[in-house]
Amino acid sequence: MTLPIHRIPALLCLVLALATVAVFVTDILPFAKIDAIGKVLLAPDETDFDQILFHYSTLPRLIMGFLCGAGLALAGAAIQTVLRNPLAAPTTLGVGAGVEFALTVFLLLAPAAAAPFQEAVALTGGMLALGTVYLIAARRTNATLWLILAGMIVNLLLQSGTQIFLLFNEQYLQSVFMWGAGDLAQNGWESTIFVLPRVIIGMIAIFALSRPLDLLALGDDTASSLGAKVTLLRIVILGFAVFITASIISAVGMIGFVGLAIPAALRIAGLTRSRDLMIYSLFAGGFALLCIDFIVRQMNGIGGDILPTGAATALFGAPFIILILRKARIMPGQQSDDHHQDQQIISKNTLSLALFATLLAGIILSLFVSLNQNGLAFLNGADGFGDIITQRAERTFAAIICGAALAVSGTLIQRVGRNPLASPEITGVSSATALAMIIALVFFGFGQRAELMMIGAAGGIVSLMVLLLLCRKFSHAPHYLLLNGLALTAILGALVRIALTRGGTQTSMLISWLAGTTYFTSMTEVMVVAGVTAVLLTVAIIARRPLELASFGADQATSLGLGINGFQFMIMLLAAILAASATLLVGPLSFVGLMAPHLARIAGYRLAGGHLLGAVLIGANVMMVAEWLARNLLYPQQLPTGLIAALIGTGYFLLLAIKRR
Amino acid sequence: MIIRLFSRFSAPVFLIALLITTNMPAMAEPITISHDRGVLTLEHPAKRVAVTNWAFTETVIALGIDPVAIADPEDYHDWVAVPELPADFVNLGQRSSPNLEALRAAKPDLILISKELEMAYNSFNAIAPTMVLSIYNNDKDALPTAREVMEKIAIAIGREDAAKTWLAATDLKFAEYGDRIRAAMPKGHDLDIVNFVSPTHISLYGPPSLPGTVLRKMGLSIAYQGPVTNWGAAKGGLEILGPQAQNTLVYLNPVPDVIRQKVWTSPLWKILDFVRNDRVYELPVVWAYGGMPSALRFAQLLTESLESGPVK
Repeated sequence: MTLPIHRIPALLCLVLALATVAVFVTDILPFAKIDAIGKVLLAPDETDFDQILFHYSTLPRLIMGFLCGAGLALAGAAIQTVLRNPLAAPTTLGVGAGVEFALTVFLLLAPAAAAPFQEAVALTGGMLALGTVYLIAARRTNATLWLILAGMIVNLLLQSGTQIFLLFNEQYLQSVFMWGAGDLAQNGWESTIFVLPRVIIGMIAIFALSRPLDLLALGDDTASSLGAKVTLLRIVILGFAVFITASIISAVGMIGFVGLAIPAALRIAGLTRSRDLMIYSLFAGGFALLCIDFIVRQMNGIGGDILPTGAATALFGAPFIILILRKARIMPGQQSDDHHQDQQIISKNTLSLALFATLLAGIILSLFVSLNQNGLAFLNGADGFGDIITQRAERTFAAIICGAALAVSGTLIQRVGRNPLASPEITGVSSATALAMIIALVFFGFGQRAELMMIGAAGGIVSLMVLLLLCRKFSHAPHYLLLNGLALTAILGALVRIALTRGGTQTSMLISWLAGTTYFTSMTEVMVVAGVTAVLLTVAIIARRPLELASFGADQATSLGLGINGFQFMIMLLAAILAASATLLVGPLSFVGLMAPHLARIAGYRLAGGHLLGAVLIGANVMMVAEWLARNLLYPQQLPTGLIAALIGTGYFLLLAIKRR
Repeated sequence: MIIRLFSRFSAPVFLIALLITTNMPAMAEPITISHDRGVLTLEHPAKRVAVTNWAFTETVIALGIDPVAIADPEDYHDWVAVPELPADFVNLGQRSSPNLEALRAAKPDLILISKELEMAYNSFNAIAPTMVLSIYNNDKDALPTAREVMEKIAIAIGREDAAKTWLAATDLKFAEYGDRIRAAMPKGHDLDIVNFVSPTHISLYGPPSLPGTVLRKMGLSIAYQGPVTNWGAAKGGLEILGPQAQNTLVYLNPVPDVIRQKVWTSPLWKILDFVRNDRVYELPVVWAYGGMPSALRFAQLLTESLESGPVK
């Protein structure tokens, strides 16, 4: 069947519209017999629960479904056009995380009298997050890529903050997770009345700006020469898109996939003019979310539990994201602008020695010095000395080994991928590892750590294979790999949220585990991971010559007679195994795999062998510090090590980004 | 000494002495208790107990022993309230990851953990003998399991007699509260017990939950009989209360102010029959995932609430 390309979007909308009509008819059918349709729509019988339920729950839910889908898809279309990146979405710019953080803090701390301000607070949180992201990325040569990266960093930073809050307020976990997973349930018209005018204002503003948007789509240089004030336009359009998004998220929670996938899918279907794209996105998004929510509603109550709409939406969307990745033509990407001048402060040998000395001193301090309710405490030869030392050693070494493993993994991925932003955390390998373990734990009841570790490792390796399949030529476009990883992480994140709403009291354990805790680690596990890391590090160092060649790029390397694809494949496999084993101990979000190789390169470790060694030393040091802080900072409370490392890591990148403006 | 007694005194006196010694074998014979991870053997009843969740905390206190180490004591005040914590104990931090060094410093001779912490069993057992006991999340009815857990803890700390007395008194109270509830509750309207989880979601307790099993023990039955999660409750929007509207609604505290404000102003809430006809009752703070003391407290608070009348 050959269909004219321009008909596909219209056909898609028509199918979705028909499905919407079917949904509406199904919902209202029970009232057809009692001749109450008009009544139930406008003025329900105050004594009939079914009528009240339809009028105050089902009907607003249908309308909210459409409004949210339409608003998010429109915002996504606008943002994608502005950023010229088919994988950009409101949620990738930190807005979702900002709203979530603000609302979590508000829900836990605010008195009842402040309830009317809840939405305003959430809105402010989203706007502030976007502001931060924009400040970091503004006036960079490669602003498009930086915006996504900054969004990701701010996302992670805010998510870490939210998690710390939740860890200390366990009882409220369920309610925040329900919202965080995207919840369209309605108890009245209040939310609809809140969202409706805001979405309409946002829509009108964006449509008014849609002509300049078409100019933007031509690229910065062209648009500037056409006289449009590029920066100002970007800020205004992004601002309105975020305004819509934040209003929606503060009312119904995270529903991220619609804003990402609908406009991207329509673009692939052949829509190029921004005005068309936005109009179609609006309707397709609205109809799509309404229909998906209908299916979700049918599944509620199975096993006495709820399926949250937002998270379920991401599941429905997973195949689409894969499709988009395969079809999308990422805008011609410049190589990252991330070429650091070497800062040879001291010679590398001296630096290595210093790092090594710090590590040794740090280990001794970690073992003998701690904080308790009386302040600093030094371990003396009192009873239990040996046991305490063993236990501290277990956790300290677990952290150090993980730091080293992630550093090696990150270095390999960055060098072979020739992408200074790639890392096991960002490419989704770590998330996949954690996800595999969580699914095994929550849905299949595996409880033994050995089993879980095997399952996790398998998950990590499979995800890397998928990633490699998706971008066979990933070394040509650095941010292609990055965006793939981002999509993968987003899908996995949705699954994790579903698992968390179902986790019962395991939830708090899962959170601290996701955030990376050495609490459940045993010496045997540390030894195994240490062994794996040592062997693979040795292999990597032996392979440093071909690794050096690989970092020049496929073309040169091949002309130098190296079978680059087989070699790349092997190295990436090593990296995945290392990342998976480290994730098992400290969780998926530590950022060490990104930060350590990065720092090592800045410090002047340029050749592959030195780069590996430097990264290992830096990674081990960072994790050691994070582990000590996690154990002692809030004694007797134990913070997750991975969370502290992530705070250090994201803080570092924020500083780096601000400094380099 | 026995030989000397034998030589100096007559046979009856010896028999009495023998009786006394056979009556106190507890000191000599080791105690064995089966738990979720095998059998625990103790030389002596434990005196210094460390507890890592609130069901254990309240159970140990109810048995007349002050735990030496307690997890999440601050939140305990907000969510469990009574029995009062002892004046002096070691704070272990969060229940999800009790601080092992603080635990060691408390020098316990028995540690109680539930299966959520079982992955760290070896670390705990290296500090002191550790029992894994779970009341929830295991497809069992809450109240009988809580009772079993109390009896096992009692054996481990040598308070079996105290446990027997306590449980017997509690059974009497359950019966008494049952009668009072039957007299006080709105006639012909079964009891629904709920928790407000978010502005749009509630937990509706079912038969296997602590509230459900306590009601059954008192000869009453919980209204909701539908599907539940393995924590004994169904989660859902306010609409799952629709079919329950002819019942009497009892909700547990604490309810965050934000949630209360939103639910109370919602049309869907206002239309429900129990709201319109004043059959909504409120319980002060009570831990629906606790042990026997929480079960008793729930019964008592429910009685008092029903006797003092609905929420205005």
